[in-house]
Amino acid sequence: MPERELHKICYVEDDEDIQRIARLSLERVGKMQVEIVGDPLLAIDAILAFRPDLVLLDWMMPAMDGPTLFKRMRETTELRDLPVVFITAKASHRELEELRDMGAAGVLSKPFAPKELPAQLRAIWRALP
Amino acid sequence: MSSSRAAPSPGAPHSPAHPRDGFDPQRVLADRVEQLYSQMPLGMLATLAIGGIATYELWDERTRDLVLFWWGLVLLVTAARAVLYFGYRASTRKLGEGAQWLRWLAISALANGVIWGFAGAVFFPSHTDEQQVFLAFLLAGITSAGIPAYAASWPMFAVYAAAIVLPFTYVLASFGNRLFAEIALLVPLFYLANVGIAHRLNRVFLSGYRLRHAYDRLTDDYTRLNKQLEQQIEDLLEARQEVEASGRKLALFAERAPIAVFEMDANSTILEINPAAEDLLGYPALELIGRSALHALFPTDEATFNAQWWARFIADKQPANRIRARCLRRDGLELVCEFTLTPLINDAGDLVSIIAQCQDITQQLEAERLKKEFTSTLSHELRTPLTSIIGSLQLVNSGVIGEVTGEVSELTLVAERNAQRLLDLINDLLDIDKIESGKFTLFPEEVSIGELVQESLILNKSFAERYKVALVVRGELTPARVRADRKRLMQVMTNLLSNAAKFSPEGAAVEVCASSAEGMVRVEVSDRGSGIPEDFRHRMFTRFAQADSTATRNKGGTGLGLAICRRLVELMDGRIGFENRDGGGTIFHVELPKLVPAPAR
Repeated sequence: MPERELHKICYVEDDEDIQRIARLSLERVGKMQVEIVGDPLLAIDAILAFRPDLVLLDWMMPAMDGPTLFKRMRETTELRDLPVVFITAKASHRELEELRDMGAAGVLSKPFAPKELPAQLRAIWRALP
Repeated sequence: MSSSRAAPSPGAPHSPAHPRDGFDPQRVLADRVEQLYSQMPLGMLATLAIGGIATYELWDERTRDLVLFWWGLVLLVTAARAVLYFGYRASTRKLGEGAQWLRWLAISALANGVIWGFAGAVFFPSHTDEQQVFLAFLLAGITSAGIPAYAASWPMFAVYAAAIVLPFTYVLASFGNRLFAEIALLVPLFYLANVGIAHRLNRVFLSGYRLRHAYDRLTDDYTRLNKQLEQQIEDLLEARQEVEASGRKLALFAERAPIAVFEMDANSTILEINPAAEDLLGYPALELIGRSALHALFPTDEATFNAQWWARFIADKQPANRIRARCLRRDGLELVCEFTLTPLINDAGDLVSIIAQCQDITQQLEAERLKKEFTSTLSHELRTPLTSIIGSLQLVNSGVIGEVTGEVSELTLVAERNAQRLLDLINDLLDIDKIESGKFTLFPEEVSIGELVQESLILNKSFAERYKVALVVRGELTPARVRADRKRLMQVMTNLLSNAAKFSPEGAAVEVCASSAEGMVRVEVSDRGSGIPEDFRHRMFTRFAQADSTATRNKGGTGLGLAICRRLVELMDGRIGFENRDGGGTIFHVELPKLVPAPAR
């Protein structure tokens, strides 16, 4: 369990409506500092600049999907140990298992409950080594 | 050859079980007797004729009475012989009574001999020289005539001739004439020579009979064998026709089958292919026959069908079912095919050939892939807007972005609830689709039923509160464990609890208990609802089943929940059911096989 509280979150998500809801949820309910990235191709730079505690990744995005971005992050030295949580509308059990096997810290499914999202992320955060 | 053989019973001279086991002595005897009796009429005629001539020749005053007596004797004996002859001819049991007829004939032969012996002994001394010469000729002739007459039995001839010769010899020897005495010495020699001839003749006859019998038997055997052979040929012809018919049937099967069929040898060399195989692979049969299937039909990087796999298959000689492999068509196009290989093994256990059936499943796989992609896309495209809708409404209703009151609040709550319903429906449809297409995978783990029930009550507490219903545990929850997919079992519990809450009257309690007995763990969810209408009970677990449409509108729900529950429980080797509750309401139960605790280390 990390020593400090979860505070800075970077969310890579292409859907603007969902971006807005996630921001409201995390800022208003969770009292967290949030950086939203709409274009996954810009994500690495944005994450390096923002230096979040945890990254929330959408799976299906145009230009680059979540798992590919996740691999890129793993190849970037500074981001190798950054915890990543997937948030996806894919329902298949198997696909969720695949993500865990890839080394994701957690998997949340869409639609998510904005009221619960910060608590769910904190639970994942606390379960980290 | 036949002396050691038991005499067959009368009437059964042939023993078909031993067709070549020598001749039948009883039949030989019967043949001899028949031969002897057949000489009798001629013998009797000769006796009467010669006897008549002798009577006339020997007739004179001195010996008139004696000659008459002798003539009477001849007539008597001949009459007796005639009776014997006709008795024999009339007999129906010649075969069984051969020995008896032979004995009677021997007596008659002796009697016949005695007549002539008497004539020689009595009339020779008493008559003139000329008459003596006549008698001597007569006796010699009569004696030698006996040889052919009694040829079938030399002892009979010996007795007959002895009866003639002995008295005559005695008369000659005792006559006091030197010439006659010398003749008396010669007569026994003639007698012996005649008996010897008769004996030889007898043997010739006997071997003749034996040959005849052997021939008869051979003919019988031959006829029988011939019949057997004919029957066998007939059977063979029939069998051949059957084989040809079934061969034609098989050929027709292969030729008309829509499935590609190949015959290969142990080296995968193609021996034969059917028209469907020609169509599938784009090769004419002649171009493929004689080539190795492994080299001709599969790309070099094919992982399933390679030399190693083939070698193991040939060694195992076991059928291989539904083997998927990429297959190269003549025009270079790659197909995905499903193969069924069956080794043809003969009675000795050797591999004769391999029959392979093959089906092109490229399109089927493509259709499956498209369907999966469609479902996945549909799921994503429906969930994304729902994420925004439900998220927004939840944020509004939770009040974190500002207070909403009055009718606005009511309407946003309705909107949130119905958006949630839409999401439930999508989830249920996806579940049903996965379960029914057989693509549903469970992730079973060891689950404590008591803990899971406790957890499900907490999760569904707020939902029940919406209907002003309490969820309570009745009795002690079993500590037993089951092997189940935790998430899916929770889905079942949530479904049962939310149903119970929805259909309970306000202020009622839904009771939950978990017990274990006889290898099963049983969870019960009891409500105080209005119960289940009689005509609806049998449709409870079918899709889109809801008791009435008003309930659907009032209570929400997709009508898929219980159908999914039943399939999930059955996938976990369990059972789901319901019964009426005493005092009103319904009890739903789920039974799962209890996990036997691992022995302590």
